[in-house]
Amino acid sequence: MAEPLSIAVEIRRLSLTYGRQGSQVHALSDVDLTIPTGGFVSLIGPSGCGKSTLLRILGDLLDPGAGEVRINGKSPKAERLDRRIGFVFQEAALLDWRTIIENVALPLELHGSPRAKREARAQELLDLVGLKGFERARPRQLSGGMRQRAAIARALSTKPDLLLLDEPFGALDQITRDRLNMELAHIHEVTGVTVVLVTHSIREAVLLSDRIVVMTPRPGRIESIIENDLPRPRSLETRALPLFEDLVRQGNLELEKGYSHV
Amino acid sequence: MSDALSAGTASGKSRARASRFAERSAAILGDIWPPVVVLVALLGFWEWACMAFAVKPYVLPAPSAIWEAATSGFGQLMYNAGITAWEALAGFVIGSAMGAVIGTAFAYSRFMARGFMPLLIAANTIPTVAIAPIIIIWFGHGIGSKIAVTAFLSFFPLALNMMKGLQSYDRVVADVFRISAASPAQTFFKMRLPTAMPYVFVGLKLNVTFSVIGAIVAEFIQADRGLGFVIMTTYRTMAMPKLWAAMILSALLGIVFFLIVAALERLFVPWHASMEPGR
Repeated sequence: MAEPLSIAVEIRRLSLTYGRQGSQVHALSDVDLTIPTGGFVSLIGPSGCGKSTLLRILGDLLDPGAGEVRINGKSPKAERLDRRIGFVFQEAALLDWRTIIENVALPLELHGSPRAKREARAQELLDLVGLKGFERARPRQLSGGMRQRAAIARALSTKPDLLLLDEPFGALDQITRDRLNMELAHIHEVTGVTVVLVTHSIREAVLLSDRIVVMTPRPGRIESIIENDLPRPRSLETRALPLFEDLVRQGNLELEKGYSHV
Repeated sequence: MSDALSAGTASGKSRARASRFAERSAAILGDIWPPVVVLVALLGFWEWACMAFAVKPYVLPAPSAIWEAATSGFGQLMYNAGITAWEALAGFVIGSAMGAVIGTAFAYSRFMARGFMPLLIAANTIPTVAIAPIIIIWFGHGIGSKIAVTAFLSFFPLALNMMKGLQSYDRVVADVFRISAASPAQTFFKMRLPTAMPYVFVGLKLNVTFSVIGAIVAEFIQADRGLGFVIMTTYRTMAMPKLWAAMILSALLGIVFFLIVAALERLFVPWHASMEPGR
């Protein structure tokens, strides 16, 4: 965090409605959120609370309805076209016909970066996510956790300012999930990238983020924001701190409030 | 690592390679021998039955008689097979190219797909024997009209499979390309086309078998050379063993073409799940 006060993401009065009049769904209603550069924010809430919608708007995969969204002072579209955004999905979504290193280098290849340069960068990232030695493997030969590591490496290849993760560990077993949580904490520390993580797990949110945004459905909106002052660097031992359990309890309480609206 | 150890692993590696080779050859042999045994048994029974029941050669010639007819007129048969092969190949390439273009247009334009699909289905249901005379009038009595009939018969499967294949991409992968600000051309060549390749090969395999049928049917209608011409003329003179030889040759032509396409498939889409051993 070079400048702790600079702002990476600014969302003002964002609303989004799906469908025609009469059967409208308020996916998002009056969302305000500011994320400092280098921050780690988790979005949590039940299905239909708009957390994935919000993430997709940040990544310019979805057009915002009303309101304003700025990333480093620019529109999500401008940032996406500049390759300033990395996105990790629930599925790894690797190309079966490419090796792992070719998959990780894909965004750079699409950007027109020469082979030697992009493969050097991909190699760096494979080392970072613990996939050294699997450069020439095919996605089909890797486990779900390894594929997801490759997807994270791919999202980081263009050195994005903003890393968006949509339930990236939802399909993994608990042990793999713990390990990848720590990888993500490590990546956040060494790269200083701003992270927005959508998750269903309050413990994952507390373990990783500086700020937990609890959302509620119908209409999708922010219920509350929990500041998380757990010391960094975080490790799996962080979970043994009394403050950790306090925050989890607080998070669950806020989530309950959301469910009571349902 | 010590020299002894590395030497040990090296010879271990070559031993592993040798045993892998043995395994592979055994697997190939295991694939090959059942059809060979069946074929030899069938030919033996056929030969024996023709002799034992004194079957008239024009009803069912014995394998030895077919062999005799094939070898005595070998040069002439090969020349005619070559003509048919050329017609089938040219028609296959032209028809497949047309099918690929049409299928791509359909995948990208709902209007084109909706508007032209009924017409295409109608065209595809027309019996080849009905359309062939018309095409021969349009394209003349030479090889060109045979190629045109073949092309007409062998574009539909690829058009359909191309369209389906180009539409079958993973939506999350499409999001990955969008996040990476990929151009439409990059999205086509690096994502949609590779995803479509297994479908493309289904279409090509169908096309390649239809192409031999198309060439022979066209020769039936009008020709002065080709396997279809040989079958027609031998039928008129009741030279049945030679007709059988021409028929078997046309089947072999289709099989060879099919195997070539199957080999190309292994080369181009080795990554696909259907290519894994044991499938």
